[in-house]
Amino acid sequence: MPESSSGPAVEVNKLSFAYGRQQVLDEFSLEVPGGISFGLLGPNGAGKTTLIRLLVGLLKAKAGTILTLGRKPSPKIAHLIGYMPQLPSLYGELSVIQNVEFFARIYRLRDRKQRAQRVEKVIRLVDLWEDRNKSVMSLSGGMKQRASLACAIVHNPPLLFLDEPTVGLDPELRVTFWEYFSALTRQGATLIISSHTMDDAAHCDRLAFMRDGRVIALGSPDELRQAAGRAQATLEDAFLHFVRREEKKDVG
Amino acid sequence: MSASILTIASRIINQLIRDRRTLILIIVVPLVIASLVGVSVPDKRILDYTAPAILAVLILFFGFLLTGISFLRERSQGTLERLMASPVSRLDIVGGYLLGFLLFAVLQTMVLFFYLIYVLNVNFYGDLWQIIVFQVLIGIGAVCMGTFFSVLAKNEFQMVQFIPMIIVPQMFLCGLLWPVEQMPEYLQWLANVLPMTYGVSGIRALMLQGQSLLEIGKEIGVLAAYAVGLLILAAVTLRRGSG
Repeated sequence: MPESSSGPAVEVNKLSFAYGRQQVLDEFSLEVPGGISFGLLGPNGAGKTTLIRLLVGLLKAKAGTILTLGRKPSPKIAHLIGYMPQLPSLYGELSVIQNVEFFARIYRLRDRKQRAQRVEKVIRLVDLWEDRNKSVMSLSGGMKQRASLACAIVHNPPLLFLDEPTVGLDPELRVTFWEYFSALTRQGATLIISSHTMDDAAHCDRLAFMRDGRVIALGSPDELRQAAGRAQATLEDAFLHFVRREEKKDVG
Repeated sequence: MSASILTIASRIINQLIRDRRTLILIIVVPLVIASLVGVSVPDKRILDYTAPAILAVLILFFGFLLTGISFLRERSQGTLERLMASPVSRLDIVGGYLLGFLLFAVLQTMVLFFYLIYVLNVNFYGDLWQIIVFQVLIGIGAVCMGTFFSVLAKNEFQMVQFIPMIIVPQMFLCGLLWPVEQMPEYLQWLANVLPMTYGVSGIRALMLQGQSLLEIGKEIGVLAAYAVGLLILAAVTLRRGSG
């Protein structure tokens, strides 16, 4: 795994961002320790994708600071970061192996032999080796998601941003994806995963519940369930508990 | 040249090679247009005069269209966002596009050139390599123009609308159909600020008068200035923070 800093993987301090007049994030702060899977959970429009795009440097903050691996987001640290956008974001005419090979070269895996080994390893990891020569446009939605994940992890980044990676996947494939993610964190990678399903939330080491561009609760899945105040509370119950608490605050 | 430029260029070449229908259309459509002109003109001297301009204009047209649509697809399918989050620079992305599509522009030029000379029997006095170098210069401008205008379009339909806005006026005013000098003065002024006027004037000097590249310095200078300006504009509009 490439070099990384020993501090938090991500530090966000009083971050604000707006699309025109629409405020998306307002004085948003967050710290993500290294080597864990961290879930950004919230409904559509909560600001999860905007936050991820800010963290990978695709958007510039209006106010506040961001440190990823101890440094400001920039092309200089882009080789340490993996990014899987919401859309599969692949070249449809090219085969699976051509897509993965392309991103391996873009992420500066220069040595031909090492690159070939790495490309094969990640394609096998996502279980597409038998389909490696098929054009991406001929694949099913789930296979495209797997190919997209292979492109995001081919350079073995210590920090990985996955924007709703399990959307549209069947339950079996969703489990498989979480097995990949667990394997990556066991190897020391930090994963920041956005989702709006509580099924994904249960797999994360830590969670931030988000609503209207703010963090309304932070903790491990167990801590958040306990905070809901009921013995058999689910994460969904916990989320609704924190939403109601925020609504009371707003009214008050 | 950076490794990223070569990587992006080779990806574009791979994409077009795998998209056989598009590849065939790139080669065949210019030949069909040239044939239509060839059989429809009543006088062989008119064809000799028009053929070099067709060569230049078709490179502009296809360079603009192919790059514009490709870049737009790169945006709409999310791959541009993925590239912008990677270590490659904006200039690498535009440079990769430039190199990838220029190879097809050279291929298109050579096929069309030999078709004009050997099938339509167009008279020709210059050097092939000088014609190719000049065509590459027009191609660079076309690729940068396509990249830049793709930023302004939100979908492929809008991109196609730029053809009547950006390309067709240049076709009418560049001297393809009648000499610029015979146009009204205000149209001559307009023609003289459009790059294609210099493209057509340069290619005619090379092909019809047998001049060398050294003798068409003004045309090369104007086209190079347009290419550099559009290259900078294309790279600037691909801002990392633009979202």
